[in-house]
Amino acid sequence: MSGFDFNLSRRGLLKSGVALAGTAAIGGGLAPRPARAADTTLRVLLAGDPFYYAIEGLKDQFQQETGIKLAIEAISLEALQARLTSSFISNEPDADVISVDQMWLGQYLESKWIHPLNELIKADSDVNVEDYIPEVLYSMNTWRGQVGTLPVAAYGQMVLYRKDFVEKAGISVPEDGSWSWEQYLAAIQKMNGQDFDGHKMSGTVLAGQQPAPVVHMYSQLAASMGTRWFKDFPAGTPWDFQPTINSPENLAALKIFSELYKNAPAESVGYNWFDAGMRFAKGDVGMFYWWTPYAYLCKKDGYMSGKDSVVADKLGMARLPKGPGEQVVSLGGHSLGITANTANRDAAWQFVKWATSAKTQKAMGLYDKYGHQFSDFARKSLYSDPELLKIYPHLTAQLGDLERGNGKIVRPPCPVYTTLEGIYGLNLNKVLTGQLTPEACLSETSTFFETILKGNFLIPYQQASYDDTLDATKALLKSLA
Amino acid sequence: MEGSESATGRWLGIAAMVLLLLVFIGPIVWFILLAIRPAETYFAMPPVLSFTPNWESIRYTFFDPGNNAPQLGNSLIVAIGAVALNLPFSFPAAYALSRYKIRGRKHIMLWYLGLLMAPPVAFLIPYSVLASMAGVKGTYFSMILISQTLTIPFSVWLMRSFIDEVPIEIEEAARIDGAGTTTILLKFILPMVMPGLIVTSMFAFVFSWNNAAFPLVLANRSTTTLPVGTLQYFGTAGVTWGFIASAAVAAMIPPMLIFLVLDRYVVRGLTFGSVKG
Amino acid sequence: MSAVSIAAPSRARRRLPDYTPWLLISPSILLLLALIAFPLLFALKNSFYFWNLQMGPAPMGFIGLDNYRMALSNGMFLGSLWTTLQMTLVGTAIEFCLGLAIALLLLRRLPGIKLTRVLLIMPTTIAPIVVGFLFRYMYDPNGGLIPWLLTSAGIPLPAAGLLGSPSTALWAVLFADIWQWTPFFAIVLYAALLAVPGEIVEAARVDGVSPWKQLLYVKLPLIRKTALIIVMLRFMQIFNTFDLVVVLTKGGPGTASRTLGYSLYQAGLVDFNIGLSSAMTWMMVIIVNAIIGLFVFFAFKDWD
Repeated sequence: MSGFDFNLSRRGLLKSGVALAGTAAIGGGLAPRPARAADTTLRVLLAGDPFYYAIEGLKDQFQQETGIKLAIEAISLEALQARLTSSFISNEPDADVISVDQMWLGQYLESKWIHPLNELIKADSDVNVEDYIPEVLYSMNTWRGQVGTLPVAAYGQMVLYRKDFVEKAGISVPEDGSWSWEQYLAAIQKMNGQDFDGHKMSGTVLAGQQPAPVVHMYSQLAASMGTRWFKDFPAGTPWDFQPTINSPENLAALKIFSELYKNAPAESVGYNWFDAGMRFAKGDVGMFYWWTPYAYLCKKDGYMSGKDSVVADKLGMARLPKGPGEQVVSLGGHSLGITANTANRDAAWQFVKWATSAKTQKAMGLYDKYGHQFSDFARKSLYSDPELLKIYPHLTAQLGDLERGNGKIVRPPCPVYTTLEGIYGLNLNKVLTGQLTPEACLSETSTFFETILKGNFLIPYQQASYDDTLDATKALLKSLA
Repeated sequence: MEGSESATGRWLGIAAMVLLLLVFIGPIVWFILLAIRPAETYFAMPPVLSFTPNWESIRYTFFDPGNNAPQLGNSLIVAIGAVALNLPFSFPAAYALSRYKIRGRKHIMLWYLGLLMAPPVAFLIPYSVLASMAGVKGTYFSMILISQTLTIPFSVWLMRSFIDEVPIEIEEAARIDGAGTTTILLKFILPMVMPGLIVTSMFAFVFSWNNAAFPLVLANRSTTTLPVGTLQYFGTAGVTWGFIASAAVAAMIPPMLIFLVLDRYVVRGLTFGSVKG
Repeated sequence: MSAVSIAAPSRARRRLPDYTPWLLISPSILLLLALIAFPLLFALKNSFYFWNLQMGPAPMGFIGLDNYRMALSNGMFLGSLWTTLQMTLVGTAIEFCLGLAIALLLLRRLPGIKLTRVLLIMPTTIAPIVVGFLFRYMYDPNGGLIPWLLTSAGIPLPAAGLLGSPSTALWAVLFADIWQWTPFFAIVLYAALLAVPGEIVEAARVDGVSPWKQLLYVKLPLIRKTALIIVMLRFMQIFNTFDLVVVLTKGGPGTASRTLGYSLYQAGLVDFNIGLSSAMTWMMVIIVNAIIGLFVFFAFKDWD
C-alpha cells in the first residue's frame, strides 16, 4: 500500500501548501476592489481592435483633461458576447461605457440597456455633430430616430493590392473605383499563378471562415451587385422581412465569389478576418478587398508588432468595384454606448465625447507606439487633414467609399441578424468547400431564413415599423446640432 | 520483458522516449518561447530557434499596463477559496462513504462522478442568471460556489481513497472510549489523513484554476481569472500572440509545479483516487 | 500497491446509528443538488418558452415543443450529434491505445525513463483553453509549426490546410485533445500495469504465452476496472468538447467540426436564443445521462 510511509515528503507538501497560501495573500492584495459608484474611475469595455491600443495609449490625456480615471478593458469578440449576454439577462452590465455592435443597437436601446444620446448631444455645444460622416451614423449609430451610440472607429471596405506585382502583370487598377466586379475578377484571374518576387502568386485571398468573416466579405460583393436581404427593411413601411436573397443578382455575386476562391489560397476557406489580412501582408497575394483597417494592419508583419511587412511600401489602395446599379459599401466598426444603469453618466458622456472627437481621433491616428495603426476616423474633417494624409495617403479614396456606405443594406440590423448570419455563413462556407452549389446555397438559405423569421414572429411583422433612411438620419443630425 | 533486451531494442526504446518528449513537451516549450520571442519571429519560416529574448510581452501583460497581474491574484483567490469551501462538505462525506456500508453507496459515488461529466457549456447561462438572482454576480464567491460542482465530487472521490487506508482500529478504540463521530472525525481521522487532505486540496486547486468556462460568465472585470484573461488578446483584427503566450504561460505554471511536487500522487489525483499508482 | 480501491474496507458495523453517514453525506449532496437543479429547471422551463435575447430581454411566451422542433428540424442537432460521436469514439480509442503503448514503454528500464514519466504528464495539467490557443498558434495557416513540419517531412497537406479541409478539420481539432490527454492514459495505465502481480505474468511467460497475448489476456483483464473508469471519463469529456472548436475552427468548414457542445454554444452564447439553447441543453443532458447509464449498467455492474 502506498500512503503512510511519507512523513518526509509530508513536510515538503506542507511547505508548498504554505507557500501557496502566502502567494494567495499577496495576490489578494494585488486584486483591485470592484469600483464603487462614488469612484470617479470610469469602466470602459471595448473590443480589442487597433483603436483600443490607441485609446489605451492616450488615456492619460483624458485623465489630465477631466480628472476622470479610466479602467479600460479590451476583450475578444467571443468573450464580449458571453459577458454581455450574461450581463444583460441580469440587467447588470459591469461597465459604464461599452462597445456596442451595430447589429445589436436596436436591441440594446429597446431593452433600455443603453442610454439614448439625443438629449446629451443636443445639450452639449462642443460635440460638433455635423462633422460626423452621416452614412456612418446612419449605419452604425441610429435606431428608430434615436442616436444610441457614437462611432469611435468607422470601417468601410476597399481594394488593397500589391502595386509592384499589379504593374508587372500589366493591370491598371482604377483608384476611383470605376470598374466592375467582373473586371476585378478578370484582373485576379490574370494574376493568379504568376511567379513574382520568389512567390507563386495567388490572385486574391478570401476570409472564408463561418459565420461572421465570410458574411462580412461576401455581403459587400452581394450588396454591390444589387442584392437585398429583405423585401422592405430598414427603409419602407410597413417592414416586410420576406427574404429576397434567392435572387438573380445574388446568384451572379455568389458565382463571382466562388470564382474568386478558385484564385485564392485554398486555405482561405478557413481564414478569419486577420488570417486573410496577414496572408496578404506576406506578399504572395495580388489583390483583395477587405475592411479598411487592413490598410494599416497589412503594412505590419504582425498584429501590434511595430515591424513593417514586405508589402509595407508596395501597398496600393483603391475604391471598390461597382455592380450594375448604384454602389453600396459595407460599413462597420466600433461604437461607444453608455450603459443605462451607470452611476457615472456624466463621466461616461465625457469619455464618449472625448474618444469620438476630432481632436482625439487625430491623436489616435498619429499615435505610433506600434507604428501608425489607426485611420478609421468617424470625423469627416480628418480625411482632408494634411498631417494625416501624409501618413495615410489613401484617406481621400476611403472617404469616397464611406460616403457610398450603407451598412443597413449590406448587413441589415434586423432583430435575429446573428442567427441569420450563422446560417448564411455556414452555407457560403459550404459553397467554397464545394459541398453546395451556389443555387442550392441560396435556396436553402432563403428557406432557413424564412423558417427562422417566422419562428421569431418577424414574418408577418406586426410591430411598429420605422422608415429608416439616410435622409431621416441627416434631418435628425440637423435637429441635434 | 525486462532484462532480456537486445541492444537494438534498447536503442529503439530510447528513440521512442525522445520522440515522446519532443511530441508532448516540445509544443509547451515552443509556446513558452513565444512569450519571449521578438514579434517578427512568431511565424518565421523556417522556424527561428535562436533569438535575443524580448521581454515586451511579459512587461505589457504583467507590468505596464499589466492587465493580467490582478488576474493572477484573482485566480489564486478563486482556486484557494474553492478548495477551502469544498473541504467541510467533502471531508465528512468521504469519511461516511469510506466507513459505512450504506445502501446505494455505489450509486452515490457514481452520481458524484456523473457531475464531473456534465456538459459545462449547458450551464453557463443558467449559472449567470442564478448568480445575479442571488446578488453575487461578479464576485469571487459566485465563482467559488459554482466551482463546487467540480471540486466536491472530485474531493470526495480522492479523499475517500485516503481514508480507506487509515486503519479502523484507532477509531474503534476511540469509540470504545466514548468518542462521538465529530470527535473521531476531527481528532483522529483528520490528522491521519492530513497528507491526503493536502494532496486532494492541491488537485482540487488545479481543477478550479484551469476552469475558464464559469469565470467567463460569472466574473467581472476586477474579478476575472487568468485563463479567461488570455482571451482579451484574441481580437478580430489580429492576435497579439506574445501577450497571449505570456499570460497563458503564467496560467500554466502553478498546475505544472503542483504536478511536479505531487509526482507520486499524480495518478491517484487524476483518477480521483480509484487508481493508487 | 493495489490498482483499484473501489472496494472499501468491508468493516462497517451494524451497531452504529444508521443516520450518521447520511448526516455526513447530506450537506455535500444538498449543496450539489441545489447547484445542479437550478440550471436544469431553468433550462427545462425556458425550453418551452420563446426567449430570444435578439428579440427582447424577457421570455415572450409559451410555445410548447417548438424549440425542440426547431432544434431537430434543421438537421443541426442530429448532424452535430453524429460528428460528436465520431470524434468521441475515435478520440477515446486512440488515446487509450496510444496511452497503453506509452505505458508499456514507461515500464521498461531505460536511462532517463523516470524523468520522462514525470515530464510526460505536463500537457494534461494545462487549462483546455490554453491548449486551444497553443494549437491555434501551431496550426496557423500563415507560418504555424505543424504545417511547416508536415510539409518539410514530405507529408502532403490538403490544399485548404488541416483546419480548412472538411476531411481533416475534425481530426485536427481532435489531435489537440489527443495531445493533451494521451499522457493521462499513459500515466494511469502505467501505474495500473505496475501493480499487476509479477507472479501471474511470470506464470504466463513460463507457459510460453507470447508477450502480445500476455498483454491481451492476462494484464488487460487485470486492469479492467481502472481502464473502464478513465475511458468513461474521457469519453464524456470529449463528448462535451466546445472550447477547442471555438478557438480552432468555429465548427467549420461547413459543418465538418461542429460538435454538439459547439452547437449549444452558438445557440446560447452567439445567437442568444435562450429558449432554443435550453431545449438543446435538455436533449444533450438526456443523451449524456443515457451514455453514463449504459456505462454504469454494462461496465460497472460488478462494483460493490
